[in-house]
Amino acid sequence: MAPRLRRRFPMIAFGCSISKPEVFRRCALAGIDRVAEADSPRLFRPANEPIARSYNALLDQAAGLVDLEALVLVHQDAELVGTGFCAVVRDALRDPSVGLVGCAGAVGVRSIAWWEGSVSLASFVNRYDEYGGGDLESFSWRWQDAPPWARVGEVETLDGFVLVCAPWVVRHVRFDEELSRFDGYDLDFCLQVRLAGRRVVTADFRAVHHRRLEMLPDPENWIEAHIAVADKWEGRSPGLGAEPGDWRDRALRAEAERDLARAIAHTKAIEQRARAAHLERALAEARGSLSWRLTGPLRALTRR
Amino acid sequence: MIAFASAIVDPEAYRRFAGPGIARVAEPDSEILAYAAVGTVCRGYNLLLEAAARLSGLEALVLVDPRLELTDAALCATIRTVLADPAVAVVGWAGAAGSRTIAWWDGELRCAPVEVRHDEHGGGRLPAWPWAQRIADPVVVDAVDASLLVLSPWAVATLRFDESLVQGIGHEVDLCSRVRAAGRTVVVAPVRAVHHRALDVVADPELWVQGHRRMADKWDESLHGELTPEQWRRRARRAEAERDAARTLAYSNALQADAHVLELERELAELTSSRSWRATAPLRAAAQAVRRWRGR
Repeated sequence: MAPRLRRRFPMIAFGCSISKPEVFRRCALAGIDRVAEADSPRLFRPANEPIARSYNALLDQAAGLVDLEALVLVHQDAELVGTGFCAVVRDALRDPSVGLVGCAGAVGVRSIAWWEGSVSLASFVNRYDEYGGGDLESFSWRWQDAPPWARVGEVETLDGFVLVCAPWVVRHVRFDEELSRFDGYDLDFCLQVRLAGRRVVTADFRAVHHRRLEMLPDPENWIEAHIAVADKWEGRSPGLGAEPGDWRDRALRAEAERDLARAIAHTKAIEQRARAAHLERALAEARGSLSWRLTGPLRALTRR
Repeated sequence: MIAFASAIVDPEAYRRFAGPGIARVAEPDSEILAYAAVGTVCRGYNLLLEAAARLSGLEALVLVDPRLELTDAALCATIRTVLADPAVAVVGWAGAAGSRTIAWWDGELRCAPVEVRHDEHGGGRLPAWPWAQRIADPVVVDAVDASLLVLSPWAVATLRFDESLVQGIGHEVDLCSRVRAAGRTVVVAPVRAVHHRALDVVADPELWVQGHRRMADKWDESLHGELTPEQWRRRARRAEAERDAARTLAYSNALQADAHVLELERELAELTSSRSWRATAPLRAAAQAVRRWRGR
């Protein structure tokens, strides 16, 4: 009797905190509709700042669900795609030591810029609207094209845009509401889960992240979060907030590297401007050519 | 008399750009000091300063990068006007205020109408420091671009470039810092020129980081005072965060720029793969042949 009940009631819940209902409907809801099971509870709440508060409310709500197998926290602009999502989640959580599962993560992480670590899985697409729109496929979006370091398995942190929480995590761990408005909440949560003795892993599922190409819309808040996470975790998690040298060495080295990164950004901006100018010239030449102008009426006819 | 000087690493560049530019803007009595580069840029420039210091009646020394082509016929007049203020010791065509490191361009950037001509991406022309505010009148700054350094007689007599800097990296910022420490000023003036250069801002990143450190070691205490261990800790945390933000922003900007280029490439591919474009290919080939024939 008991085994049958277990098969019937366990369920994977989906949670989302919503500040833009249209984005939520188009992205997160579309994905949840695609991958959820008929009995999957859906926990959708209006967003509160910081995101940690919204997510804690979702965790509190999910903690009350009997027979919860997992809570999938999805950003409103993240769309789960592909088939078998729930099976992949169940498979990853079969190991009771696993606390969190995601589709993008890294090891060797020293700060909230986790992508500066050794990223081992990034199974998502960044779908953007700018410049006519397009998809930027991350490196393990297609296994056949993935580099040798692409693998599922244990990581130090996950990208927070899709976070699958094990029931134990839902009941025992909470996001740090004091840390920042948004940035770094995912790394901090992964560190808490690991500190509590649970593992953080990647699994083979996929998502489309519908977002602008701009990665740091608010650099000052991001910098504050970077400092807050480093201050909180240095000495408590190996490598976090740590760099070689004394504080003076670190300051001067980081200032040099900061200015170098900015100089490289300037170079790239100038180079791209030159590339764009080259293409714009080619386009203008083509459009200004006699043959293009002569065949204009033909193209207009074809368009009709 | 206004003298012009170059420390020449690449003779071909000097023959094509700096040489003709100097010939265009110099006055009949201008001395032209074209020396082979020795050691670092600092050592080469000090050699030029020593030579210039021996010239009688020197009004200014114009240090010209071999890849900078001076095009402003009024350059000497502009130099005289700006140096009429005895406080002015260094004049350049681009500079900035507010930066405390060798990355002077991260400050409030001001620039004369100077053009960069590059060979990359099919070659082309761009305004130098495209995001800088263009100037019509002289503006006081903290440091100037190293490709043109106009030095007053006081600067020629008093200052020398610091040959202990790593490969001379940051020599212009170091010189300008010493000018300001001596109570003199550094100015960007509206001079016209063409800079024939690659598009990169930093050619050798690792060396540049070493140069940055060396300059920080030299100037930090006078800029920031003596810091307590806690102040250093806070500064390190901030710098590490700013560094990671800068890297992320660089990546993010590159993605945006790539997307823009991709859009243009798509547009061009659509255009050139259209039926009408392909059908009229013989017409264009014929027109090209005619142009070539006329060009003979």
